[in-house]
Amino acid sequence: MQSRKFNDLTSWWFFAAIHAQTMFDNDDPTQPLPLGYPNWKSLPGPPAIPTTDMPTADVMKEYWDQCQHGTWFFPPWHRGYLYAFENVMRDVINNLPGGPADWTLPYWNYFGPGNQFKMPPAFAQLNMPDGSPNPLYVKARFGPPGGHGNVFIHVGPTSINQECQRNTVYTGGNDSGTSGDYGGGVTGFVNFDQHPLFGDLESNPHNGVHNLVGGQFPNGDDAIMANPQLASLDPIFYLHHCNIDRMWAAWNKAGNKNPVDPKWLNGPTAHGDRKFVMPNPDSTAWNYTPSMVNDTSQLNYTYAELDLGVTFAALSKNKLRLRNLGLLLDDEKDVKEMAEPNRETELVGATSKPLVVDATGLQTNVKLDYKGWGAVAESLQSASLVNLPDEVYLLVEGIKGNRDSIICTVSVNNIDAGHLYLFGLTMASKKNGHHGGAGLTIKLNITKIIDQLHLENAIATNTLDVKILPANIIAKGSELTIDRIGIYRVTTAE
Amino acid sequence: MRLPNRTYKAISLTTLSVSIVAWILLLYNPSHVLGVVHCHVSDAGPSRASVEMLLLMNPISSLLCGWCLMVVAMMLPKLLMPVCFIYSKALKRRRQIMALLFILGYLFAWALMGIPIVAIMLGSSLTLPGSFVPALVVATIALVWQFSPVKQYCMNKGHEHPYLPAFGWPSFRDTFLFGLKHGIWCIGSGWALMIFPMLLPDGHHLAMIFVTFVMVTEHLEHPQTPRWRFQLHGRLMRMLSAQTQIRIKQLRTILATDLNPLSNKRIFKDGIS
Repeated sequence: MQSRKFNDLTSWWFFAAIHAQTMFDNDDPTQPLPLGYPNWKSLPGPPAIPTTDMPTADVMKEYWDQCQHGTWFFPPWHRGYLYAFENVMRDVINNLPGGPADWTLPYWNYFGPGNQFKMPPAFAQLNMPDGSPNPLYVKARFGPPGGHGNVFIHVGPTSINQECQRNTVYTGGNDSGTSGDYGGGVTGFVNFDQHPLFGDLESNPHNGVHNLVGGQFPNGDDAIMANPQLASLDPIFYLHHCNIDRMWAAWNKAGNKNPVDPKWLNGPTAHGDRKFVMPNPDSTAWNYTPSMVNDTSQLNYTYAELDLGVTFAALSKNKLRLRNLGLLLDDEKDVKEMAEPNRETELVGATSKPLVVDATGLQTNVKLDYKGWGAVAESLQSASLVNLPDEVYLLVEGIKGNRDSIICTVSVNNIDAGHLYLFGLTMASKKNGHHGGAGLTIKLNITKIIDQLHLENAIATNTLDVKILPANIIAKGSELTIDRIGIYRVTTAE
Repeated sequence: MRLPNRTYKAISLTTLSVSIVAWILLLYNPSHVLGVVHCHVSDAGPSRASVEMLLLMNPISSLLCGWCLMVVAMMLPKLLMPVCFIYSKALKRRRQIMALLFILGYLFAWALMGIPIVAIMLGSSLTLPGSFVPALVVATIALVWQFSPVKQYCMNKGHEHPYLPAFGWPSFRDTFLFGLKHGIWCIGSGWALMIFPMLLPDGHHLAMIFVTFVMVTEHLEHPQTPRWRFQLHGRLMRMLSAQTQIRIKQLRTILATDLNPLSNKRIFKDGIS
């Protein structure tokens, strides 16, 4: 596929541009974008990206820049993309002498045992055993901060994890859409568009793995995997996305349901937007909707491992929480599990002006509302088996910048709250383009931290201390701006 | 954090209800608040006497009132998304007042715009009474403006929804300013389209419905790089068409299930088990 011309719909390059690209304005493919980083024509190889034989503007308009992020279409669009890519690859392999007829795309399960958190070694070799260039090798792939160029995934409770697999609702089936949001928010055709709010599968592990695998150039520029407009040039992209697809399939196998809303099943055309379309191996078009990729069996494939990946304790999430709060002494007792539709969201604290995160990081106090925060404290005070306390979320709202590869750690009152993985930041920050310049908003569940503060009698406060520290380079001119840090309660009260 | 469905529905219902009431008032047109209906110009052209007579028959306050009613009718549905955004990002006890301040800021911008527009309307009535020429000139300008980069820039700015301060006076001030700015960008985008129905000697209502449709449709489009481009915004039509097809499909499925005695039995059996 890499030896094919750019205008071949089944070439490596054309497929990468279907995801997203930086050579032409994605609103108007007749307009080339300036040369220089991050234009594909200026990226250091390998891979050596062809710069001639471009497809026509009409073909570009139909196929390119389709990838779906920050939307409930994230899982199904990528499933169709992988399916089409695999079909083309299999067609190529079948035509090679001795090529296996049943070839399938492999997946990289970085959560697997042993050293599976490390990138498969075949991708790190510059050359093949016979001395020819290794098509799996990518020069601009630097790995996580402090990894000295070794590519591996930090797996852990506040870094990359499978906590999303505990969710039970695809798209805020509750009417607040705050928790249990697995696949993303209800939208039309969206690629980091206005105020995207990622589903948990996309936020972590998807976004984080992109950032950790790609990393940064020494000057702080994004490496290929760390930027969605470059990412699908890297062969490891497809193994990563197969793993995300596998996790979605495992989540479904565990009994969790995909949306039945016709607006999801029929894809973005139901919103008057573009359709999903991929090239078949014979270069004809395959139009698809989420209803056609709802289940892997519809596409006649499955995965070797379809376990959920997280071990559910015998106790439910709420029971575990009440036990940690010292309220549940008898595990056999029933806890009133609140139905999702009865949950509501309310802002209970916020910073007052825009913030900047530079190389030294940021420390700020988030002012809490006496009434809203008082209700959180009261819900913890009066928590019981029939009266569940509020959940609390920290939202870093309207993050803008020009480097997607930046990774930050977030702490609340000096307790680790998680990471900001800013995959998609540049696209989401561009004004006067499809994305509207609203930036990224990242949600962190800080309920455990608030429970801990409650147990330490430290919850009665007017502010929360929030620290955001960069884990890698924030070069001058690449500082992040944040519109607001908000604290929200999700009440379980009817 | 998204808004609960019931809150979203309540906001939609309130907004659309107010808009519908304004539309009814406009269509009923009490005291002929929309458009200049009495033209008194002598053969010698506009004179002080004819201006005085025109203003007597069409008080400016009445014309401005009609203008504001027109803005409420046509523009309120466009404010649904920013109002929902404000609701989801504000302290609970401040949501309603902040939403109201935003709408007031927005209407204030359009109300100010009403002054030059009423002046143009009166001027055209004095110079070319009962003529379609002024409306045709504005329609031509609107058509050119429609494809201009400046219009696209204004529409892009209209998609900006800032995170507002949550506490104290700044939250009210910034919300009003957000409404004002949103109104200014909306004016930048649709000023010519809005003048067009005002200059028509006849057919205001039909023109207003057409302009509302155009403005709501283009408002639904994604932001784009501003540049000259000939394009018709058809997302609303595509959306309505797709939604209709989905509804018909659903209806067919329901009817097929209801009319099929075997499927009824199956449902019954499942219910028992």
